[in-house]
Amino acid sequence: MNRISTLLLLFSLLAAVVVSAPAQQSDYDIKTTFEERVATLKTSIDSAKSLVALDTLKTAIDSLDRRYAPRSAFLDKARYPQTFAGTMTELRDRHLMAYDRTYLLQTQGIRISDLESQISSLSLRLDTLTIERNKLFQDLAESKRSVAAMRETIRKLATNLQAKDRLLFAMIDSIFIPYGKDLSRVGDMQKEAITHKLEQANVVTRVYDIASDNVTFLEATQLQGKDYAAMMDQYATFSNRWKGLREKMVAVATAPTPSEPGATPAGKPRAGMKGPSITTAPAPKPAPGSEVDSILAVWNERMQKTFWTAIQKEFTDKAIPVNSFSDARTFSESIRSYVQMAKTSGEDPSVFVNDVWKARIDKEWREALTKDAMLGRAEYAALDKLVSELGAQKFDLRFVLYALVVLALAIAVWWFFIRKPKPASTPAAKKS
Amino acid sequence: MNRSAKFLGLALAVTILQSCASLTLENVDFTWPVESVITVSATNTIEDGRYSLVCNVAPLAAKEFEDSTALRGASLRLLRNPEGYYFLTGPKFKHVYVFTTGVGELSMKSAIEVSQTGLVAPKLNQRPPYIELLDGNNQRRLLTKDEIVEEKK
Repeated sequence: MNRISTLLLLFSLLAAVVVSAPAQQSDYDIKTTFEERVATLKTSIDSAKSLVALDTLKTAIDSLDRRYAPRSAFLDKARYPQTFAGTMTELRDRHLMAYDRTYLLQTQGIRISDLESQISSLSLRLDTLTIERNKLFQDLAESKRSVAAMRETIRKLATNLQAKDRLLFAMIDSIFIPYGKDLSRVGDMQKEAITHKLEQANVVTRVYDIASDNVTFLEATQLQGKDYAAMMDQYATFSNRWKGLREKMVAVATAPTPSEPGATPAGKPRAGMKGPSITTAPAPKPAPGSEVDSILAVWNERMQKTFWTAIQKEFTDKAIPVNSFSDARTFSESIRSYVQMAKTSGEDPSVFVNDVWKARIDKEWREALTKDAMLGRAEYAALDKLVSELGAQKFDLRFVLYALVVLALAIAVWWFFIRKPKPASTPAAKKS
Repeated sequence: MNRSAKFLGLALAVTILQSCASLTLENVDFTWPVESVITVSATNTIEDGRYSLVCNVAPLAAKEFEDSTALRGASLRLLRNPEGYYFLTGPKFKHVYVFTTGVGELSMKSAIEVSQTGLVAPKLNQRPPYIELLDGNNQRRLLTKDEIVEEKK
């Protein structure tokens, strides 16, 4: 009975919106009727307990939007500072949140308040980490004189950035998990709700900020060889997580548009935006998070540049004239070329082999160089073998030289002391 | 010499005062987008919150109904046109009153007769350059500050 009366109320609401107005209508009546219907819809949304009721209310909102959109300019003036677009957006957002709340409670048994408090708690922790990060960047600028202090600050900063990274994606998981893994099976309203939550949690901006922090970190610090491996892992993990998130965002953003072009999740007019949504042509949607893609590209480029420049410095510091390189391919070519040149010229490669390759590259940079995104294990092993052979070849020649010297000495000793010619026998001795 | 100086000072003062008085801001638009529907209080005052207008309507009641308390509790419709004239009417009114602003007053510019028997449920709409008066039975009139320019049923 209760449900029937609710449905009757909703249908009467819808009918009230749809019924056409008399030919001559007072502007004042248009304004007050609009305001009354908005108020009634808000009350109905807040008290709706079922998805069916909310679906009907969605139709009523669409209908209200269509009916009053041609009057939006008048309503904007008559209801100043409130706007028609702003009112409709507020109404749709209210409906969306109610729908999401009801959906999650009915299908997953999850109270949206629990979820929201979890997201809110994670947001707070992220914000705390951001404040800490700011202080660490400041500390880093001040601690440049002391190497030990700088290293400690870098360590703390790296930990902070990784923690932010983890927390952010935990927050994103909190948003998506209740809707299941297969987003294609999730309804349009839920997709819109997810988009709304992502916007509310400021997810794209937060992802962007973390990537941007890492770029700043790379610019502000001078990392050591072993630091790069962790940095590369972080980049790869972050990049993969972002790709996953972007796919999900695309999946929820491409939900079929509701009846109003202006009310799509991606193109939804924000509060305060003027003009009727119904008459606005949908603007071409940018790819979700394209700005994050750009900053990730900058992060990778910066990391690659500092990495290869730092390795190049290992050679130049020891005056090893290897060709300059800027990526894995050119590094590999440069090393092979130098080894070849050392072999043919016959010059002493010991500094290259022992002081640079074995003492620095193999000890400090191997972990980063063997990453698949860099040389990879196989290519590094091949280069290491080449360099080792160059060292071994030189060692053999020396060994032969030493052997020859020892042999010559042995012969000399034998000649002078052991095989000393006996004095010739005298005739007198023969006679005796 | 002294006389010439006085004359010059006077001329200068007149010039300055004249230039101050001649300052005019033109093309002012006083349009209210929608009429205000205001209930007359027990003290015969009306108060519009949006435009901060307060006035006593007892003289108006006396003129229209020959009873200064006749408007108590009535809903009056007030709208300002682009030129800045206030159009005021209400149920049972035979006229639409047009007022212009003075120093601390609204003075009647004209009283346009719109009904022999009194309006039933009048409504005012802004239809620049006119004010539209609607009443029951789909009666529609377009008004200027002085007269009815168009009437349709």
